[in-house]
Amino acid sequence: MASVVTLPITFGAIPSGYSKPTSTSKPSPPISLQVYPAGPSFIASARRQILQRTFAEDDKAVESSRAAAAAAAANGASGDLYPGLGEEQEAPELLASDPKEWKKQDHYAVLGLGNLRYKANDEQIRIAHRRKVLRHHPDKKAATSGANDDAFFKCIQKAHETLTNSDRRRQFDSVDWNIEDEVPDLKKIPADQFCEVLGPIFAREARFSRIQPVPGFGGSDASKKEVEGFYDFWYNFDSWRSFEWHDKEVNEGSDSRDDKRFTEKKNKSERTRRKKEDNTRLRTLIDEVLALDPRIKRIKADEKAARDAKKKGGVAGGPAKPLTPAEKKAAEEKRKAEEAAKAAEEKKNSESSKADREAAKKAKEAARKNLKKWKKSIATVITSSNYFQPAGASASPAIIEKQLGELDVLCELLEPEAVKDLKEQIEKAGSGEPAKAALVAKVNELGEKAEGKFTEFA
Amino acid sequence: MAQVLGINFGQSYASIAVIDKEGHPTCIANEEGERQIACAISYAGEQVYIGNGAKPHLVKNGKNTIMGFRNLLGHTYDEVDHTAILTAPLVADSETPSYTVDILLPPPRQPTPAPRSAAASGTATPNPAASEPIPSTKTLTVPQVTSLFLSTLLASATDFLGAKPTACVVSAPTWFTHAQTDALRNAAKDAGIEVLQVLDEAAAVLVGYRVGLSQERKERGLLGKPEEGSAGEEEKRDKRVVVLDMGETSLSISVVAVAEGEYTVLAKGREDKLGGREFDNLLLKHFAKEFTKKTKVALDLPCGPNASEADKRSEAKLRLAVDHTKRSLSASTGAATCAVESLKDGMDLSTSINRLRFDGLAAGVYRQVGQKLSEVVASAKLDLSQIDEILLAGSLTLFPGLQQHLALLVPATTPVTATIDPSEVIAVGCALQALHLSTLEDGLQIEDVLALGKGEVECTSKPIGLVVPGQQGDEMITLIPAGAPLPVRRRVVIPVKAGTERVALEIWEGKDEVKVEKVDPVPREKTVDDEDDEDEDEDEDDEPEEIKTPVTLKVTCIGATELDIHEGRDVLVEVIVQKSGGVQVRVWEDGHQGHPSTFEV
Repeated sequence: MASVVTLPITFGAIPSGYSKPTSTSKPSPPISLQVYPAGPSFIASARRQILQRTFAEDDKAVESSRAAAAAAAANGASGDLYPGLGEEQEAPELLASDPKEWKKQDHYAVLGLGNLRYKANDEQIRIAHRRKVLRHHPDKKAATSGANDDAFFKCIQKAHETLTNSDRRRQFDSVDWNIEDEVPDLKKIPADQFCEVLGPIFAREARFSRIQPVPGFGGSDASKKEVEGFYDFWYNFDSWRSFEWHDKEVNEGSDSRDDKRFTEKKNKSERTRRKKEDNTRLRTLIDEVLALDPRIKRIKADEKAARDAKKKGGVAGGPAKPLTPAEKKAAEEKRKAEEAAKAAEEKKNSESSKADREAAKKAKEAARKNLKKWKKSIATVITSSNYFQPAGASASPAIIEKQLGELDVLCELLEPEAVKDLKEQIEKAGSGEPAKAALVAKVNELGEKAEGKFTEFA
Repeated sequence: MAQVLGINFGQSYASIAVIDKEGHPTCIANEEGERQIACAISYAGEQVYIGNGAKPHLVKNGKNTIMGFRNLLGHTYDEVDHTAILTAPLVADSETPSYTVDILLPPPRQPTPAPRSAAASGTATPNPAASEPIPSTKTLTVPQVTSLFLSTLLASATDFLGAKPTACVVSAPTWFTHAQTDALRNAAKDAGIEVLQVLDEAAAVLVGYRVGLSQERKERGLLGKPEEGSAGEEEKRDKRVVVLDMGETSLSISVVAVAEGEYTVLAKGREDKLGGREFDNLLLKHFAKEFTKKTKVALDLPCGPNASEADKRSEAKLRLAVDHTKRSLSASTGAATCAVESLKDGMDLSTSINRLRFDGLAAGVYRQVGQKLSEVVASAKLDLSQIDEILLAGSLTLFPGLQQHLALLVPATTPVTATIDPSEVIAVGCALQALHLSTLEDGLQIEDVLALGKGEVECTSKPIGLVVPGQQGDEMITLIPAGAPLPVRRRVVIPVKAGTERVALEIWEGKDEVKVEKVDPVPREKTVDDEDDEDEDEDEDDEPEEIKTPVTLKVTCIGATELDIHEGRDVLVEVIVQKSGGVQVRVWEDGHQGHPSTFEV
């Protein structure tokens, strides 16, 4: 914020004959100097620069933030948090409650939190207690009415003690008789009001859950997933509800250890019994609700409709209408089925081709075995035709070797069947030129593969 | 609220400050009740002493005592001076400066003896030597030493607050380089605290005093008390300030232009040899002489590097004792005592010195400080009379003699301020800065804010002021001083004489000058009593006294405007100088903000 300084001069009238100075000039250019990055003013200037505010904008922002801070401070200082909390006039029967009967005392009502009950937070309890104490302190009562009555004050202290200790508070909340476990007859609830009636009931039961937040009952148009999630949660409900509050006091006066142990044992068994009862109660409730839930019926019906539609042949089923979740699911399943069929088909295809391949493989194997035989018979033909030399001339060893070598290469390059074919052709031709022609023909068939590899049979 | 900590980490002493329940920074004491915590670490056998407890070990165990390590941070071995006489020497063969100290390791754990039985045990009695601690050595680098020391400061603050502070601002001298700042930052991180900012010591002083923030400074009662004038009642918005920080080892002086709480550095100066050591040496010399005179035992202190062991030890002893004497001298008006048992040859020293005597001894040092001050101010092209305030920091400026000497150098209207304890002001400023940084508004990051302060910033080069036609001569009233970071805005109110219908004003650029007036001293009335010492007075009276007053003269006109006055209320003038150097002027009558008369250049 701009600070304003009053200058030690005063404005008088403009002297007569004054005229504005005619020659004006620009101010000198700025110079660069080091600044200390410290102090609130530097931070303010940095703020203006970073947030790109002008002086006027910054003034406005600072003023508004200051006003907000002042308002918050004023709020905090006057303690106007939760106005009216704990300041209502107590009913005469509440004021008359006996501090010795604290087990039967409604601690929330004593602190004026009767409308909040288990929803009251620690801050509210603290403030309500403080306000109650201010009004009901025995010293104050003694000063105003001269009565020496601190019974209600003791009740307040006991309520505060109970509600500020989280264990004790849970014990009290578990058995809070002001919140009934009652459930109306489910069968008499009309289907269109089912969710409206059961929503609050489950919200009430949810306060005992160790896992928070608890999924709500949901509306009548809840999706299958929501409904299933809800019943899943409630079938696995983990409750902190306990029944220590109903324990019988162990008689402190008696020295008998057996007596104490007996009471403790009894208390324990009683607690387990009650807990079991409570669990069964909840379980039956959920079973009944599930059985009667109109949403389940709706979902099942939807699914059935979708199945039927699919059976009838998809599109014919009905005009294009938005898919309900059930239909979507049906479509999904249909797609899945199709995919499965396709996969099966492919598998089958691949299997048949596999059989083919195996047969081919076997044939190949057999051909390879025979290859040697065929090659030998070709070689015999070649030898018998005197290595295709002109009559009378004996074949030189080099030529023999070359021709046999080329035969090997040829047999390698040719498919076994082709070799068999060649052998048959050669045997048919008998000997001499026709045999050679058959060989040359086969070599030429090879084409490129044979290029440069054959001299004798080219 | 997050707990923040301000640490003044000096070469010889450190101090810490926290934010108290009312939200004001206060310097706190450590467990030993010390607000000034000596930067010393001493290893004695299995024990480690940190802080003031380590200082006495200089006498017996100097070789294992580490002191004066801050200035070595971020330096390599070759860069530093390694001729310490009394403390642990630096290790020569390492790149980062480090110390080696002798320590005793705790003995290895003995095997648990066999369960006792009535029968004589077959095993031999454990060797007593095996349970003795093992002599060993330990090498510590300077950053390690620093983080060890900072962690004790942090522990003290944690004990005081009851919770570990989350962030801190640490001070560093004006001349610290980037490498040194980074080293300090890392050392603090190792000690377990995040450093929001490594703050210049001079800046910490300015923040601590809230200089330039008129209202806050007045509310907190931080104004100095000059001999004359109104500076003690009202804080000026724009002023020139000298921060004089005299610590145990060095003197540093900064001349800073303050523009409504923004601090621009005009000049910096530093004298390494001028510090508490100088005063120590003077006192050592004085007391050694006195000791020799009384006991006839020769003792010449401070001793050189070739002095005998006995002399060195007596020097260390006397140095510790003198520390106390120094404090008493600055704290109380009476004589300060100094007592050392068995200073040399079994003879004790017990003596005292009063303030007058000490000021006589230290006059030379005072003069040197004054000289350095004048030098630094001159290097900013300013005159001492143009300085509006001198802020003192560092425990040595507590000497009343020094304060008086400085007050004589500047005009009587200039306060020499020590309203916050000079030995605590840096820590207080750091804590305050940490508070400012930790309570930034939404949308602002500390790094972004601090990044704007790195490097140099555009500032006004000449003062801009206001001239009312027909009222002043050559002078103008400064609205925006020279050296104000841009953009800058100033608002002033000028009362209007009743019955005025139209006013005119001009905005000028000017220059700061010093007007020197020679005033002939009032001739003394001669009385009969004066007759005797007339001769002595003669020379003094002859010289005319120079009176220097800073003035701002108008040089070039930037613009002028006129405004109609409707209701006879005050006139507000707003001048904004933009980053580009452009000037916007708005003039309006109070309550008529919608109808200003404006011009721009």
